Amino acid sequence: MITPEIIKAGIEQGMETIHVSVTGDGRHFEAVVVSEEFAGKNRVQRHQRVYQALGDSMRDEMIHALTMKTLTPQEWESSR
Amino acid sequence: MDIQEVIRQQVTSNPVVLYMKGTPQFPQCGFSSNAARILKAAGAGNFLAVNLLLNPEILEGIKVFANWPTIPLIFINGEFIGGSDIVTEMFQSGELQALLAKKD
Repeated sequence: MITPEIIKAGIEQGMETIHVSVTGDGRHFEAVVVSEEFAGKNRVQRHQRVYQALGDSMRDEMIHALTMKTLTPQEWESSR
Repeated sequence: MDIQEVIRQQVTSNPVVLYMKGTPQFPQCGFSSNAARILKAAGAGNFLAVNLLLNPEILEGIKVFANWPTIPLIFINGEFIGGSDIVTEMFQSGELQALLAKKD
């Protein structure tokens, strides 16, 4: 079964991040991802980057639904 | 006609298109239901809703077309806007209403 820890590890392995937190119940997950890589990218491009980091587990629909907040370090600072 | 071409025509000949599981009246997934509700609340009017459960070829094709692995997918004026969480965020900030006010 997919756990929030597996998703967190997948994101962290697939891209440069400053902070990743994931919660979820095995089918639906919510992630907060903070990365310098998001600078200059719109929401769709940011989400695509995270999906790319997760690779096969997204394509094979092992993760049914992943709700995301994608922030640059600056945006993360000002949101806290 | 190639499935990518079918999708391209759908999103360019309709100002607002929602690819979803089920229909706005009978959605088959909470995220699709949310997207349909938000489009309506944001003033999308009559939008084209494509039921991916009845169109497996479009289901596979749309993931490639948008480079997006999850459902639903929302297009406005031919442009891919995102999924359920992005339109929710854009609705809360008022961006979605502004974008829909400019639709062709």
